[in-house]
Amino acid sequence: MLVDALKAESYRFSLNRVLVFVSVLLTPLLFALGGALFHWVTKTNGEKAAKAANLTVTVPSEAVNLGDAFGFAASGCANGFVLICVLIAAATIYAGDYRWETWRLISARNDRTSLILAKVGVVKIIAIVSSLFFLIASVIFGLTQALVYQRGLTFSIAGGELGGIGLTWLLSYVRIVQFTLVGLLAAVMTRSLLAALIAPWALGFLQSIFGQIAPPLLGMDTGGWTMQLLLPGLAYDTLKAAVEGPLEAPLTAAVVWKSLIGLGLWTVVPLVAALAWFNRQDLSKE
Amino acid sequence: MNAQRETAVIQVSGLTKTYGTVHALNGLDLTIPRGGVYGVLGPNGAGKSTLFRILLGLIRPTEGTATVMGGAVGDVAAMRRMGSMIETPRFPPYMTARMVLRWLALEHGVGGETDIPYWLERVGLTEAADRKVRGFSVGMMQRLGVAASLMSRPELVILDEPTSGMDPPGIQDMRALIRSLATEDGVTVILASHQLSEVQRICDRVAIMNRGKLVLEGAVSDLTAAGGERLRLVGTPVEKVLGALSVRATRDGDAVLAEIKRPDAPALIRALVEQGVDIHEAKWVGADLESIFFNETGAVQEADNAR
Repeated sequence: MLVDALKAESYRFSLNRVLVFVSVLLTPLLFALGGALFHWVTKTNGEKAAKAANLTVTVPSEAVNLGDAFGFAASGCANGFVLICVLIAAATIYAGDYRWETWRLISARNDRTSLILAKVGVVKIIAIVSSLFFLIASVIFGLTQALVYQRGLTFSIAGGELGGIGLTWLLSYVRIVQFTLVGLLAAVMTRSLLAALIAPWALGFLQSIFGQIAPPLLGMDTGGWTMQLLLPGLAYDTLKAAVEGPLEAPLTAAVVWKSLIGLGLWTVVPLVAALAWFNRQDLSKE
Repeated sequence: MNAQRETAVIQVSGLTKTYGTVHALNGLDLTIPRGGVYGVLGPNGAGKSTLFRILLGLIRPTEGTATVMGGAVGDVAAMRRMGSMIETPRFPPYMTARMVLRWLALEHGVGGETDIPYWLERVGLTEAADRKVRGFSVGMMQRLGVAASLMSRPELVILDEPTSGMDPPGIQDMRALIRSLATEDGVTVILASHQLSEVQRICDRVAIMNRGKLVLEGAVSDLTAAGGERLRLVGTPVEKVLGALSVRATRDGDAVLAEIKRPDAPALIRALVEQGVDIHEAKWVGADLESIFFNETGAVQEADNAR
Protein backbone atom coordinates (compact mmCIF):
# COMPACT_ATOMS: atom_id res chain seq x y z
CA MET A 1 0.00 0.00 0.00
CA LEU A 2 2.82 2.40 0.88
CA VAL A 3 4.63 1.51 -2.34
CA ASP A 4 1.51 2.27 -4.41
CA ALA A 5 1.06 5.60 -2.67
CA LEU A 6 4.73 6.44 -3.10
CA LYS A 7 4.64 5.67 -6.83
CA ALA A 8 1.48 7.72 -7.29
CA GLU A 9 2.74 10.66 -5.26
CA SER A 10 6.09 10.81 -7.05
CA TYR A 11 4.34 10.50 -10.43
CA ARG A 12 2.03 13.38 -9.53
CA PHE A 13 4.97 15.49 -8.37
CA SER A 14 6.92 14.78 -11.57
CA LEU A 15 4.00 16.15 -13.63
CA ASN A 16 4.08 19.49 -11.85
CA ARG A 17 7.00 20.94 -13.79
CA VAL A 18 6.94 24.34 -12.12
CA LEU A 19 7.17 22.69 -8.73
CA VAL A 20 9.99 20.37 -9.83
CA PHE A 21 11.95 23.36 -11.11
CA VAL A 22 11.37 25.50 -8.03
CA SER A 23 12.04 22.78 -5.47
CA VAL A 24 14.99 21.01 -7.01
CA LEU A 25 16.69 23.17 -9.62
CA LEU A 26 16.13 26.81 -8.76
CA THR A 27 18.51 27.20 -5.81
CA PRO A 28 21.46 25.30 -7.33
CA LEU A 29 20.93 27.13 -10.61
CA LEU A 30 20.87 30.53 -8.90
CA PHE A 31 23.86 29.57 -6.80
CA ALA A 32 25.89 28.38 -9.79
CA LEU A 33 24.95 31.29 -12.05
CA GLY A 34 25.27 33.80 -9.22
CA GLY A 35 28.69 32.37 -8.38
CA ALA A 36 29.88 32.69 -11.97
CA LEU A 37 28.59 36.24 -12.15
CA PHE A 38 30.19 37.08 -8.80
CA HIS A 39 33.61 35.82 -9.94
CA TRP A 40 33.38 37.63 -13.24
CA VAL A 41 32.26 40.95 -11.72
CA THR A 42 34.86 40.74 -8.95
CA LYS A 43 37.62 40.05 -11.41
CA THR A 44 36.51 42.76 -13.88
CA ASN A 45 36.12 45.37 -11.14
CA GLY A 46 39.45 44.37 -9.64
CA GLU A 47 41.17 44.71 -12.98
CA LYS A 48 39.53 48.08 -13.64
CA ALA A 49 40.52 49.39 -10.21
CA ALA A 50 44.05 48.09 -10.64
CA LYS A 51 44.34 49.69 -14.07
CA ALA A 52 43.08 53.01 -12.72
CA ALA A 53 45.57 52.86 -9.87
CA ASN A 54 48.28 51.66 -12.22
CA LEU A 55 48.81 48.50 -10.20
CA THR A 56 49.59 45.00 -11.33
CA VAL A 57 46.98 42.41 -10.40
CA THR A 58 48.40 39.31 -8.87
CA VAL A 59 46.16 36.29 -9.11
CA PRO A 60 46.78 33.53 -6.57
CA SER A 61 48.47 30.74 -8.40
CA GLU A 62 47.33 27.81 -6.29
CA ALA A 63 44.65 25.56 -7.71
CA VAL A 64 41.02 25.87 -6.63
CA ASN A 65 40.21 22.98 -4.34
CA LEU A 66 36.75 21.63 -5.18
CA GLY A 67 36.87 19.61 -1.99
CA ASP A 68 36.56 22.89 -0.04
CA ALA A 69 33.52 23.84 -2.13
CA PHE A 70 32.04 20.45 -1.36
CA GLY A 71 32.54 20.90 2.36
CA PHE A 72 31.06 24.39 2.24
CA ALA A 73 27.96 23.14 0.39
CA ALA A 74 27.46 20.15 2.68
CA SER A 75 27.51 22.45 5.67
CA GLY A 76 25.30 25.10 4.10
CA CYS A 77 22.73 23.15 2.13
CA ALA A 78 20.07 23.81 4.77
CA ASN A 79 20.26 27.50 3.89
CA GLY A 80 17.25 29.78 3.59
CA PHE A 81 16.90 29.44 -0.18
CA VAL A 82 16.94 25.65 -0.12
CA LEU A 83 14.50 25.66 2.80
CA ILE A 84 12.08 27.97 0.98
CA CYS A 85 12.23 26.02 -2.26
CA VAL A 86 11.84 22.59 -0.66
CA LEU A 87 9.09 23.93 1.58
CA ILE A 88 7.13 25.20 -1.45
CA ALA A 89 7.15 21.65 -2.82
CA ALA A 90 6.39 20.14 0.58
CA ALA A 91 3.45 22.47 1.22
CA THR A 92 2.01 21.72 -2.22
CA ILE A 93 2.39 17.98 -1.68
CA TYR A 94 1.07 18.00 1.89
CA ALA A 95 -1.87 20.36 1.30
CA GLY A 96 -2.55 19.61 -2.38
CA ASP A 97 -5.23 17.01 -1.74
CA TYR A 98 -7.14 19.45 0.46
CA ARG A 99 -6.74 22.21 -2.11
CA TRP A 100 -7.82 20.11 -5.08
CA GLU A 101 -10.38 18.12 -3.07
CA THR A 102 -8.80 14.85 -4.11
CA TRP A 103 -8.64 13.07 -0.76
CA ARG A 104 -12.00 11.48 -1.45
CA LEU A 105 -10.61 10.00 -4.68
CA ILE A 106 -7.67 8.29 -3.07
CA SER A 107 -8.30 7.78 0.63
CA ALA A 108 -10.96 5.07 0.30
CA ARG A 109 -8.60 2.61 -1.34
CA ASN A 110 -5.48 3.00 0.76
CA ASP A 111 -4.76 3.35 4.44
CA ARG A 112 -4.29 6.86 5.65
CA THR A 113 -0.92 6.28 7.28
CA SER A 114 0.53 5.07 3.98
CA LEU A 115 -0.86 8.09 2.17
CA ILE A 116 0.85 10.51 4.53
CA LEU A 117 4.09 8.52 4.71
CA ALA A 118 4.21 8.49 0.90
CA LYS A 119 4.00 12.26 0.87
CA VAL A 120 6.75 12.49 3.47
CA GLY A 121 8.79 10.04 1.41
CA VAL A 122 8.54 12.16 -1.72
CA VAL A 123 9.48 15.31 0.20
CA LYS A 124 12.49 13.45 1.63
CA ILE A 125 13.56 12.51 -1.89
CA ILE A 126 13.14 16.13 -2.98
CA ALA A 127 15.27 17.22 0.00
CA ILE A 128 17.99 14.72 -0.92
CA VAL A 129 18.01 15.70 -4.60
CA SER A 130 17.88 19.39 -3.80
CA SER A 131 20.78 19.20 -1.35
CA LEU A 132 22.79 17.01 -3.75
CA PHE A 133 22.20 19.50 -6.55
CA PHE A 134 23.40 22.18 -4.17
CA LEU A 135 26.63 20.21 -3.77
CA ILE A 136 26.96 20.06 -7.55
CA ALA A 137 26.27 23.79 -7.77
CA SER A 138 29.07 24.42 -5.29
CA VAL A 139 31.41 22.47 -7.56
CA ILE A 140 30.25 24.63 -10.48
CA PHE A 141 30.96 27.66 -8.28
CA GLY A 142 34.54 26.40 -7.82
CA LEU A 143 34.88 25.58 -11.51
CA THR A 144 33.83 29.06 -12.62
CA GLN A 145 36.25 30.52 -10.09
CA ALA A 146 39.05 28.49 -11.66
CA LEU A 147 37.90 29.44 -15.17
CA VAL A 148 37.53 33.15 -14.52
CA TYR A 149 40.84 33.47 -12.66
CA GLN A 150 42.55 30.89 -14.91
CA ARG A 151 43.59 28.82 -11.95
CA GLY A 152 44.11 25.10 -11.81
CA LEU A 153 41.69 22.66 -10.26
CA THR A 154 42.21 20.10 -7.58
CA PHE A 155 39.94 17.93 -5.49
CA SER A 156 41.32 17.01 -2.18
CA ILE A 157 39.49 16.05 0.96
CA ALA A 158 41.51 14.71 3.82
CA GLY A 159 40.47 11.25 4.93
CA GLY A 160 39.13 12.50 8.24
CA GLU A 161 37.21 15.35 6.61
CA LEU A 162 35.17 13.14 4.33
CA GLY A 163 33.25 11.65 7.24
CA GLY A 164 32.70 15.12 8.66
CA ILE A 165 31.38 16.42 5.34
CA GLY A 166 29.05 13.44 5.09
CA LEU A 167 27.84 13.99 8.63
CA THR A 168 27.20 17.72 8.17
CA TRP A 169 25.33 16.96 4.94
CA LEU A 170 23.22 14.43 6.82
CA LEU A 171 22.53 16.96 9.58
CA SER A 172 21.55 19.59 7.03
CA TYR A 173 19.28 17.07 5.33
CA VAL A 174 17.60 16.24 8.65
CA ARG A 175 17.14 19.95 9.30
CA ILE A 176 15.43 20.43 5.92
CA VAL A 177 13.13 17.43 6.54
CA GLN A 178 12.40 18.57 10.09
CA PHE A 179 11.44 22.02 8.81
CA THR A 180 9.04 20.57 6.23
CA LEU A 181 7.42 18.25 8.79
CA VAL A 182 6.23 21.31 10.71
CA GLY A 183 4.59 22.25 7.40
CA LEU A 184 2.98 18.80 7.26
CA LEU A 185 1.42 19.24 10.68
CA ALA A 186 0.15 22.69 9.73
CA ALA A 187 -1.27 21.37 6.45
CA VAL A 188 -3.14 18.51 8.10
CA MET A 189 -4.48 20.62 10.94
CA THR A 190 -5.57 23.60 8.86
CA ARG A 191 -6.13 21.98 5.43
CA SER A 192 -4.38 25.04 4.04
CA LEU A 193 -1.44 25.29 1.67
CA LEU A 194 -0.66 28.78 2.88
CA ALA A 195 -0.49 27.61 6.49
CA ALA A 196 1.85 24.78 5.48
CA LEU A 197 4.07 27.35 3.84
CA ILE A 198 3.99 29.99 6.54
CA ALA A 199 3.84 27.99 9.79
CA PRO A 200 7.44 26.65 9.67
CA TRP A 201 8.77 30.13 8.96
CA ALA A 202 6.62 31.80 11.59
CA LEU A 203 7.64 29.20 14.16
CA GLY A 204 11.27 29.46 13.10
CA PHE A 205 11.12 33.25 13.42
CA LEU A 206 9.62 33.06 16.92
CA GLN A 207 12.19 30.46 17.93
CA SER A 208 14.97 32.64 16.60
CA ILE A 209 13.71 35.65 18.59
CA PHE A 210 13.40 33.46 21.68
CA GLY A 211 16.93 32.15 21.10
CA GLN A 212 18.23 35.72 21.01
CA ILE A 213 16.45 37.05 24.06
CA ALA A 214 16.23 34.05 26.35
CA PRO A 215 19.88 33.83 27.43
CA PRO A 216 20.29 37.50 28.41
CA LEU A 217 16.76 38.17 29.68
CA LEU A 218 15.77 34.86 31.20
CA GLY A 219 19.23 33.69 32.07
CA MET A 220 18.82 30.50 30.05
CA ASP A 221 21.82 28.47 29.09
CA THR A 222 22.07 27.68 25.35
CA GLY A 223 23.40 24.26 26.30
CA GLY A 224 20.48 23.59 28.66
CA TRP A 225 17.54 21.27 28.09
CA THR A 226 14.98 24.05 27.60
CA MET A 227 16.86 25.84 24.84
CA GLN A 228 17.92 22.67 23.06
CA LEU A 229 14.43 21.16 23.16
CA LEU A 230 12.61 24.34 22.20
CA LEU A 231 14.91 25.44 19.41
CA PRO A 232 15.61 22.89 16.66
CA GLY A 233 17.65 25.49 14.80
CA LEU A 234 19.94 25.84 17.81
CA ALA A 235 20.17 22.07 18.16
CA TYR A 236 21.14 21.82 14.48
CA ASP A 237 23.78 24.55 14.83
CA THR A 238 25.16 22.89 17.97
CA LEU A 239 25.45 19.51 16.27
CA LYS A 240 27.02 21.04 13.17
CA ALA A 241 29.54 22.87 15.34
CA ALA A 242 30.31 19.62 17.15
CA VAL A 243 30.98 17.85 13.84
CA GLU A 244 32.85 20.67 12.13
CA GLY A 245 34.99 22.08 14.95
CA PRO A 246 37.32 23.59 15.89
CA LEU A 247 35.13 24.91 18.62
CA GLU A 248 35.20 28.25 20.26
CA ALA A 249 33.95 26.71 23.44
CA PRO A 250 34.24 22.95 23.71
CA LEU A 251 30.89 21.19 23.58
CA THR A 252 30.28 18.58 26.16
CA ALA A 253 28.82 15.22 25.23
CA ALA A 254 25.77 16.10 27.34
CA VAL A 255 24.98 19.16 25.22
CA VAL A 256 25.44 17.17 22.00
CA TRP A 257 23.00 14.55 23.30
CA LYS A 258 20.49 17.25 24.21
CA SER A 259 20.82 18.67 20.69
CA LEU A 260 20.35 15.26 19.14
CA ILE A 261 17.23 14.64 21.21
CA GLY A 262 15.94 18.15 20.46
CA LEU A 263 16.36 17.82 16.69
CA GLY A 264 15.04 14.26 16.79
CA LEU A 265 11.91 15.26 18.69
CA TRP A 266 11.22 18.15 16.33
CA THR A 267 11.44 15.64 13.48
CA VAL A 268 9.37 12.82 14.98
CA VAL A 269 6.71 14.69 16.96
CA PRO A 270 5.21 16.72 14.06
CA LEU A 271 5.05 13.55 11.95
CA VAL A 272 3.39 11.47 14.66
CA ALA A 273 0.98 14.30 15.51
CA ALA A 274 0.07 14.78 11.85
CA LEU A 275 -0.56 11.05 11.43
CA ALA A 276 -2.72 10.91 14.56
CA TRP A 277 -4.71 13.97 13.45
CA PHE A 278 -5.09 12.76 9.86
CA ASN A 279 -6.25 9.29 10.89
CA ARG A 280 -9.22 10.83 12.70
CA GLN A 281 -9.93 13.58 10.22
CA ASP A 282 -13.21 14.06 8.37
CA LEU A 283 -12.05 13.98 4.76
CA SER A 284 -15.43 14.84 3.33
CA LYS A 285 -14.83 18.50 4.24
CA GLU A 286 -12.19 19.74 1.85
CA MET B 1 -26.01 -14.78 8.04
CA ASN B 2 -22.98 -16.05 6.13
CA ALA B 3 -25.02 -16.64 3.02
CA GLN B 4 -26.39 -13.12 3.34
CA ARG B 5 -22.86 -11.75 3.66
CA GLU B 6 -21.81 -13.50 0.48
CA THR B 7 -24.66 -12.02 -1.51
CA ALA B 8 -24.59 -8.55 0.05
CA VAL B 9 -22.05 -5.92 -1.03
CA ILE B 10 -23.05 -3.47 1.69
CA GLN B 11 -24.39 -4.21 5.15
CA VAL B 12 -25.25 -1.41 7.48
CA SER B 13 -26.58 -1.91 10.98
CA GLY B 14 -27.76 0.73 13.43
CA LEU B 15 -25.70 3.35 11.64
CA THR B 16 -25.90 6.73 13.33
CA LYS B 17 -24.04 9.93 12.60
CA THR B 18 -24.70 13.03 14.60
CA TYR B 19 -23.39 16.53 14.11
CA GLY B 20 -24.10 18.29 17.37
CA THR B 21 -27.83 17.78 17.83
CA VAL B 22 -28.50 16.95 14.19
CA HIS B 23 -28.91 13.28 13.27
CA ALA B 24 -27.61 12.91 9.71
CA LEU B 25 -28.14 9.16 10.06
CA ASN B 26 -30.43 7.77 12.70
CA GLY B 27 -29.97 4.06 13.30
CA LEU B 28 -29.97 3.09 9.64
CA ASP B 29 -30.23 -0.61 8.78
CA LEU B 30 -29.66 -1.47 5.14
CA THR B 31 -28.47 -4.44 3.13
CA ILE B 32 -27.58 -3.93 -0.52
CA PRO B 33 -27.47 -7.15 -2.52
CA ARG B 34 -24.83 -8.01 -5.05
CA GLY B 35 -25.69 -7.37 -8.70
CA GLY B 36 -27.71 -4.81 -10.62
CA VAL B 37 -28.12 -1.09 -10.14
CA TYR B 38 -29.25 0.07 -6.71
CA GLY B 39 -30.62 3.56 -6.21
CA VAL B 40 -30.45 5.46 -2.94
CA LEU B 41 -33.04 8.19 -2.90
CA GLY B 42 -34.06 10.83 -0.46
CA PRO B 43 -34.64 14.56 -0.19
CA ASN B 44 -31.78 16.87 0.71
CA GLY B 45 -30.64 16.09 4.23
CA ALA B 46 -31.96 12.52 4.11
CA GLY B 47 -28.50 11.15 4.87
CA LYS B 48 -27.51 9.72 1.48
CA SER B 49 -24.20 11.54 1.23
CA THR B 50 -23.42 10.83 4.89
CA LEU B 51 -24.04 7.14 4.25
CA PHE B 52 -21.73 7.16 1.22
CA ARG B 53 -19.05 9.06 3.10
CA ILE B 54 -19.12 6.54 5.91
CA LEU B 55 -18.97 3.64 3.44
CA LEU B 56 -15.89 5.22 1.84
CA GLY B 57 -14.23 5.81 5.21
CA LEU B 58 -14.19 9.58 4.76
CA ILE B 59 -16.01 10.04 8.07
CA ARG B 60 -16.61 7.80 11.06
CA PRO B 61 -20.06 6.86 12.28
CA THR B 62 -21.12 7.90 15.75
CA GLU B 63 -22.65 4.47 16.30
CA GLY B 64 -23.33 1.30 14.36
CA THR B 65 -21.42 -0.81 11.91
CA ALA B 66 -20.93 -0.91 8.17
CA THR B 67 -19.30 -3.55 6.02
CA VAL B 68 -18.25 -3.20 2.39
CA MET B 69 -17.59 -6.32 0.32
CA GLY B 70 -17.57 -8.36 3.50
CA GLY B 71 -14.90 -6.27 5.21
CA ALA B 72 -15.19 -3.47 7.72
CA VAL B 73 -14.94 0.06 6.35
CA GLY B 74 -11.25 0.85 6.25
CA ASP B 75 -10.24 -2.74 5.47
CA VAL B 76 -8.09 -1.84 2.47
CA ALA B 77 -8.33 -5.28 0.83
CA ALA B 78 -12.14 -5.04 0.83
CA MET B 79 -12.19 -1.35 -0.08
CA ARG B 80 -9.98 -2.02 -3.10
CA ARG B 81 -12.78 -4.09 -4.59
CA MET B 82 -14.86 -0.91 -4.74
CA GLY B 83 -14.71 2.23 -6.88
CA SER B 84 -16.42 5.49 -6.08
CA MET B 85 -17.24 8.97 -7.20
CA ILE B 86 -18.65 11.30 -4.57
CA GLU B 87 -20.05 14.64 -5.70
CA THR B 88 -18.46 16.41 -8.65
CA PRO B 89 -14.85 15.26 -8.60
CA ARG B 90 -11.95 17.65 -8.90
CA PHE B 91 -8.43 16.88 -10.05
CA PRO B 92 -5.04 18.63 -9.97
CA PRO B 93 -5.48 21.25 -12.72
CA TYR B 94 -2.09 20.70 -14.33
CA MET B 95 -2.92 17.10 -15.24
CA THR B 96 -4.52 15.82 -18.41
CA ALA B 97 -7.34 13.27 -18.28
CA ARG B 98 -4.89 10.52 -19.20
CA MET B 99 -2.48 11.60 -16.45
CA VAL B 100 -5.30 11.60 -13.90
CA LEU B 101 -6.17 8.00 -14.72
CA ARG B 102 -2.52 6.94 -14.68
CA TRP B 103 -2.03 8.63 -11.31
CA LEU B 104 -5.11 6.99 -9.81
CA ALA B 105 -4.17 3.61 -11.28
CA LEU B 106 -0.84 3.88 -9.47
CA GLU B 107 -2.52 5.13 -6.29
CA HIS B 108 -4.94 2.22 -6.30
CA GLY B 109 -2.29 -0.38 -7.01
CA VAL B 110 -3.63 -1.20 -10.45
CA GLY B 111 -1.14 -1.61 -13.29
CA GLY B 112 -3.99 -0.77 -15.62
CA GLU B 113 -2.13 1.55 -17.96
CA THR B 114 -3.42 -0.33 -20.98
CA ASP B 115 -6.95 0.14 -19.68
CA ILE B 116 -6.71 3.93 -19.79
CA PRO B 117 -7.72 4.36 -23.47
CA TYR B 118 -10.52 1.83 -22.94
CA TRP B 119 -12.07 3.71 -20.02
CA LEU B 120 -11.56 7.09 -21.68
CA GLU B 121 -13.47 5.79 -24.66
CA ARG B 122 -16.20 4.28 -22.52
CA VAL B 123 -16.94 7.60 -20.83
CA GLY B 124 -16.58 9.53 -24.09
CA LEU B 125 -13.37 11.39 -23.29
CA THR B 126 -11.03 9.97 -25.93
CA GLU B 127 -10.74 13.27 -27.78
CA ALA B 128 -10.09 15.17 -24.56
CA ALA B 129 -7.61 12.61 -23.21
CA ASP B 130 -4.60 14.88 -23.50
CA ARG B 131 -6.28 18.12 -22.50
CA LYS B 132 -5.54 19.62 -19.10
CA VAL B 133 -8.47 19.13 -16.74
CA ARG B 134 -8.43 22.82 -15.77
CA GLY B 135 -10.41 23.44 -18.98
CA PHE B 136 -12.96 20.67 -18.39
CA SER B 137 -16.67 21.35 -17.93
CA VAL B 138 -18.53 19.92 -14.93
CA GLY B 139 -19.93 17.17 -17.16
CA MET B 140 -16.46 16.21 -18.38
CA MET B 141 -15.22 16.12 -14.79
CA GLN B 142 -18.11 13.78 -13.98
CA ARG B 143 -17.18 11.49 -16.87
CA LEU B 144 -13.54 11.46 -15.80
CA GLY B 145 -14.59 10.77 -12.22
CA VAL B 146 -16.64 7.79 -13.36
CA ALA B 147 -13.70 6.50 -15.45
CA ALA B 148 -11.44 6.93 -12.40
CA SER B 149 -13.83 4.93 -10.26
CA LEU B 150 -13.84 2.09 -12.78
CA MET B 151 -10.09 1.98 -13.51
CA SER B 152 -9.47 -0.86 -11.09
CA ARG B 153 -12.36 -2.92 -12.51
CA PRO B 154 -14.16 -2.98 -9.14
CA GLU B 155 -16.94 -5.38 -8.20
CA LEU B 156 -18.87 -2.53 -6.63
CA VAL B 157 -19.03 1.11 -7.65
CA ILE B 158 -20.68 3.93 -5.71
CA LEU B 159 -21.71 6.94 -7.77
CA ASP B 160 -23.14 10.06 -6.19
CA GLU B 161 -25.15 12.07 -8.72
CA PRO B 162 -23.26 10.68 -11.73
CA THR B 163 -25.20 12.73 -14.30
CA SER B 164 -25.02 16.04 -12.46
CA GLY B 165 -23.91 18.83 -14.78
CA MET B 166 -24.21 16.73 -17.93
CA ASP B 167 -26.05 17.68 -21.10
CA PRO B 168 -28.91 15.41 -22.31
CA PRO B 169 -26.73 13.30 -24.66
CA GLY B 170 -24.21 12.94 -21.84
CA ILE B 171 -26.96 11.80 -19.46
CA GLN B 172 -28.11 9.25 -22.01
CA ASP B 173 -24.55 7.95 -22.47
CA MET B 174 -24.00 7.73 -18.72
CA ARG B 175 -27.29 5.90 -18.24
CA ALA B 176 -26.26 3.37 -20.88
CA LEU B 177 -22.82 3.00 -19.31
CA ILE B 178 -24.29 2.35 -15.85
CA ARG B 179 -26.71 -0.25 -17.21
CA SER B 180 -23.96 -1.97 -19.16
CA LEU B 181 -21.70 -2.05 -16.11
CA ALA B 182 -24.36 -4.02 -14.30
CA THR B 183 -25.53 -6.24 -17.14
CA GLU B 184 -22.30 -6.83 -19.10
CA ASP B 185 -19.48 -6.29 -16.61
CA GLY B 186 -21.27 -7.75 -13.59
CA VAL B 187 -20.52 -4.69 -11.47
CA THR B 188 -22.90 -3.78 -8.67
CA VAL B 189 -23.67 -0.08 -9.04
CA ILE B 190 -25.02 1.98 -6.17
CA LEU B 191 -26.08 5.45 -7.12
CA ALA B 192 -27.71 8.45 -5.58
CA SER B 193 -29.64 10.76 -7.80
CA HIS B 194 -32.29 13.42 -7.60
CA GLN B 195 -33.49 12.51 -11.10
CA LEU B 196 -36.25 10.14 -10.06
CA SER B 197 -37.33 9.27 -13.60
CA GLU B 198 -33.71 8.38 -14.34
CA VAL B 199 -33.51 6.19 -11.27
CA GLN B 200 -36.72 4.42 -12.28
CA ARG B 201 -35.24 3.71 -15.71
CA ILE B 202 -31.88 2.34 -14.67
CA CYS B 203 -32.23 0.97 -11.13
CA ASP B 204 -33.30 -2.54 -10.27
CA ARG B 205 -33.83 -1.80 -6.58
CA VAL B 206 -34.10 1.38 -4.55
CA ALA B 207 -33.90 2.49 -0.96
CA ILE B 208 -35.75 5.64 -0.01
CA MET B 209 -34.30 7.49 2.95
CA ASN B 210 -35.70 10.34 4.95
CA ARG B 211 -34.24 12.07 8.00
CA GLY B 212 -31.45 9.55 8.34
CA LYS B 213 -33.71 6.51 8.25
CA LEU B 214 -34.77 3.95 5.68
CA VAL B 215 -38.43 4.45 4.84
CA LEU B 216 -38.85 2.07 1.92
CA GLU B 217 -36.73 -0.52 0.16
CA GLY B 218 -37.42 -2.93 -2.64
CA ALA B 219 -37.35 -3.78 -6.31
CA VAL B 220 -38.53 -0.87 -8.47
CA SER B 221 -41.00 -3.14 -10.29
CA ASP B 222 -42.54 -4.33 -6.99
CA LEU B 223 -42.78 -0.80 -5.57
CA THR B 224 -44.45 0.71 -8.62
CA ALA B 225 -46.83 -2.26 -8.90
CA ALA B 226 -47.84 -1.88 -5.27
CA GLY B 227 -48.12 1.88 -5.49
CA GLY B 228 -51.60 1.78 -7.03
CA GLU B 229 -53.17 4.29 -9.37
CA ARG B 230 -54.09 7.88 -8.63
CA LEU B 231 -56.40 10.50 -10.06
CA ARG B 232 -54.53 13.29 -11.80
CA LEU B 233 -56.59 16.48 -11.64
CA VAL B 234 -55.83 19.65 -13.55
CA GLY B 235 -57.93 22.40 -12.07
CA THR B 236 -57.75 26.09 -11.30
CA PRO B 237 -56.84 27.51 -8.95
CA VAL B 238 -54.57 24.59 -8.12
CA GLU B 239 -54.17 25.74 -4.50
CA LYS B 240 -57.92 25.52 -4.09
CA VAL B 241 -57.89 21.98 -5.50
CA LEU B 242 -55.28 20.97 -2.94
CA GLY B 243 -57.12 22.72 -0.12
CA ALA B 244 -60.49 21.26 -1.01
CA LEU B 245 -59.42 17.65 -1.18
CA SER B 246 -60.21 15.54 1.83
CA VAL B 247 -58.02 12.68 0.59
CA ARG B 248 -54.22 12.35 0.52
CA ALA B 249 -52.86 14.36 -2.39
CA THR B 250 -49.60 15.76 -3.74
CA ARG B 251 -48.95 18.54 -6.15
CA ASP B 252 -47.47 17.63 -9.53
CA GLY B 253 -46.73 20.87 -11.37
CA ASP B 254 -50.05 22.36 -12.40
CA ALA B 255 -51.83 19.19 -11.45
CA VAL B 256 -52.75 17.38 -8.25
CA LEU B 257 -52.40 13.64 -7.72
CA ALA B 258 -55.20 12.35 -5.49
CA GLU B 259 -55.14 8.94 -3.85
CA ILE B 260 -58.68 7.74 -4.14
CA LYS B 261 -60.51 4.67 -5.30
CA ARG B 262 -62.25 4.72 -8.72
CA PRO B 263 -65.84 4.63 -7.36
CA ASP B 264 -65.15 7.74 -5.27
CA ALA B 265 -63.92 9.85 -8.18
CA PRO B 266 -67.26 11.29 -9.46
CA ALA B 267 -68.23 12.47 -5.99
CA LEU B 268 -64.85 14.06 -5.48
CA ILE B 269 -64.99 15.95 -8.77
CA ARG B 270 -68.56 17.06 -8.05
CA ALA B 271 -67.49 18.38 -4.68
CA LEU B 272 -64.62 20.31 -6.19
CA VAL B 273 -66.86 21.93 -8.80
CA GLU B 274 -69.33 22.89 -6.08
CA GLN B 275 -66.50 24.61 -4.24
CA GLY B 276 -65.76 26.77 -7.28
CA VAL B 277 -62.88 24.83 -8.80
CA ASP B 278 -62.68 24.65 -12.59
CA ILE B 279 -61.70 21.11 -13.57
CA HIS B 280 -59.93 20.99 -16.93
CA GLU B 281 -58.71 17.43 -16.90
CA ALA B 282 -59.08 14.30 -14.80
CA LYS B 283 -57.33 11.03 -15.63
CA TRP B 284 -56.04 7.93 -13.90
CA VAL B 285 -52.28 7.51 -13.71
CA GLY B 286 -50.18 4.59 -12.47
CA ALA B 287 -47.76 4.96 -9.60
CA ASP B 288 -44.26 5.94 -10.55
CA LEU B 289 -41.17 6.16 -8.43
CA GLU B 290 -41.64 9.89 -8.10
CA SER B 291 -45.08 9.59 -6.56
CA ILE B 292 -43.89 6.79 -4.28
CA PHE B 293 -40.96 8.94 -3.27
CA PHE B 294 -43.12 11.93 -2.41
CA ASN B 295 -45.62 9.80 -0.58
CA GLU B 296 -42.92 8.24 1.51
CA THR B 297 -40.93 11.36 2.24
CA GLY B 298 -43.83 13.78 2.34
CA ALA B 299 -41.56 16.12 0.57
CA VAL B 300 -44.02 18.19 -1.36
CA GLN B 301 -41.87 21.24 -1.00
CA GLU B 302 -38.88 19.28 -2.26
CA ALA B 303 -40.91 18.36 -5.31
CA ASP B 304 -41.59 21.99 -6.05
CA ASN B 305 -37.92 22.82 -5.61
CA ALA B 306 -36.87 19.97 -7.86
CA ARG B 307 -39.13 21.24 -10.61
